Amino acid sequence: MNKKPLIELINVTKSYDGEKVVDNLNLTIYENEFVTLLGPSGCGKTTTLRMIGGFVQPDDGQIIINGKIFNDLPPYARPIHTVFQRYALFPHLNVLENVAFGLRNRNQEYLTNFFGQQEIDRLYKEANPTHEKKNARALHKVIQKMIDKAAADALALVKLTGFENRKIDQISGGQQQRVALARAIVNKPQILLLDEPLAALDLKLRQNMQYELKEMQTKLGITFIFVTHDQEEAMTMSDRIVVMRSGLIQQLGTPKSIYNEPVNRYVANFIGETNIFPGTYVKKDLVNFLGVDFKSQGYNFENNEAVDVVIRPEDFDVVDLEKAKLVGKVTFSLFKGVHNELDVDINGVKVMVNTYETYEVGQSIGLSVDPYEIHMMKVENNG
Amino acid sequence: MGKTFKVLAIPYQIWLYILVFVPLIAMVLIAVSNYDSSVPLNQINISLNHWSILVQRQNMIAFRNSVVFAVLTTLISFVLGYFAAYHIFQSKFKNKFIILTIVILPMWSNLILRVDALNNIFSQNNIISSIIGFSPFGNITGKPIAILIGLVFTYLPFMILPVYTALEKIDYALQEAALDLGLTPFKKFWKVIFPLSIKGVVTGSIMVFLPTLAGFAIPKILGKGNFLFIGNVIENKLLSSTIFYNHGSLLAVVILVFILGSILLLTRFDKEGETLL
Repeated sequence: MNKKPLIELINVTKSYDGEKVVDNLNLTIYENEFVTLLGPSGCGKTTTLRMIGGFVQPDDGQIIINGKIFNDLPPYARPIHTVFQRYALFPHLNVLENVAFGLRNRNQEYLTNFFGQQEIDRLYKEANPTHEKKNARALHKVIQKMIDKAAADALALVKLTGFENRKIDQISGGQQQRVALARAIVNKPQILLLDEPLAALDLKLRQNMQYELKEMQTKLGITFIFVTHDQEEAMTMSDRIVVMRSGLIQQLGTPKSIYNEPVNRYVANFIGETNIFPGTYVKKDLVNFLGVDFKSQGYNFENNEAVDVVIRPEDFDVVDLEKAKLVGKVTFSLFKGVHNELDVDINGVKVMVNTYETYEVGQSIGLSVDPYEIHMMKVENNG
Repeated sequence: MGKTFKVLAIPYQIWLYILVFVPLIAMVLIAVSNYDSSVPLNQINISLNHWSILVQRQNMIAFRNSVVFAVLTTLISFVLGYFAAYHIFQSKFKNKFIILTIVILPMWSNLILRVDALNNIFSQNNIISSIIGFSPFGNITGKPIAILIGLVFTYLPFMILPVYTALEKIDYALQEAALDLGLTPFKKFWKVIFPLSIKGVVTGSIMVFLPTLAGFAIPKILGKGNFLFIGNVIENKLLSSTIFYNHGSLLAVVILVFILGSILLLTRFDKEGETLL
């Protein structure tokens, strides 16, 4: 493991009115990672984000950033910036003033560190070649110019050059979203928190922003922690996804592993459409569900243990009736552009199948599944 | 539906024309006439002779008193009112409506009654001194401080309410955003909260400034006649044995100019008029 842990949450717990919103959460986030907290509303994902941002103090546990405990540090002292859900842009300032707001309100010492003494000296000499000693007002002017340039650069990065003097209510929702992003990244945070920033955008814009965000994260080398309830959004952008439910982490992994190997029914259902069948783990590499034995791979349970079998709709292969393991009747067919969504009735069990071919309702079709597409989970009592 | 409302608006329109616009125009006309109760109606002429009262020493002092007290009242109300409104805004109290109701509660009783009560408390022998044996305010009635306290006491709610309304409109996320961007709570107040509440301050200031400028009851009662305000001069012009309608109108027109000036100022800050209650 050569990646450096950036944020560590250790046994973090937060309750509101006696109800645990975040329950004993443990999570390590590494440098330069795009991590998504995914879950339905009320699962504790936003609270977790707010604790990292410093807006909420955890009741218990530790938040460690860069090896230092950050629990009680106020938001302004953290190397973290947030893109808020409804952007929270300042209505009394224009676009450029919004973006420059953070830097303009920092003290000299912070700004010297931020821009670097050498760079300030160089620009100071350039602007005031005759000065022997530094004059505070001239220095202030140089630094203000550097801030303006940083803000203009950030606006260029989010493709908003030319909008500097617009009022916040004179730009569209998508543009406001970009201003919010620029306002955060201009401060060069180590960590950027994004609280469902795309929720208010329309579908097309949202998809574009997903790619842009991912691109920006790679380019800037900032750790992004993204909160969303949209599994597709999470899949597109994340390096790792944290699936949460009632304050607990259900599963943590790459989008692929979460999609293909969900640990329980909840995750399987939440991440895309899926078929879950009750089955029996007959013996190694053999599983029985829907009354048929299937070859499987790579799972170890007790022989004859009851398991939940997960098969994604697109993992079913439609085959000739005589070769088929399962035969069913098409009860519903929907053309979705790239593929067709079918509901197939197999002895009274509804199975979702995605296929490129078109089948009529009422037609009998045969299905088979490759051993590596069969995923098994331990049966949960609470389902 | 729209027609019904239009019809229902007619009584107010009539009210507005007959009882506001017509008297207003009449007032302006009388201000440039020789009309007083000694002049028969058929001998009314345009006259500017009485305009000399504007530079009469007594009236100048009255103007100065009005303006000075109005400005002081506005400033004090701003400081006290902003703190009060900000405190209500920040408090975690669930039912802020109750606090605001308490703020306007004094207005439920008659203004003159309240000021008379203040006058009683401010004088040497009052109901409180007969209970506790001494007068908590000493004997300040008739002094400028008594007028100032009376004015602030009366008009403070007009500052608190619009400031509170403006504060309440500030999205909480903006405060979080300010902290997130590295501002200390103190800077957050000056860079975000105060600029966004300035409309409320302007509205409140005008709502305090105007009645104090034109008022006459409070200085009369609490000033014991020691301080002449412009409102008192107008009152005297209309209560004397010869009623100087033209003098009173002229002075009232001057106040009107002040009012129009303030409203112009207001519209510069608050184009939508949204903070005007």
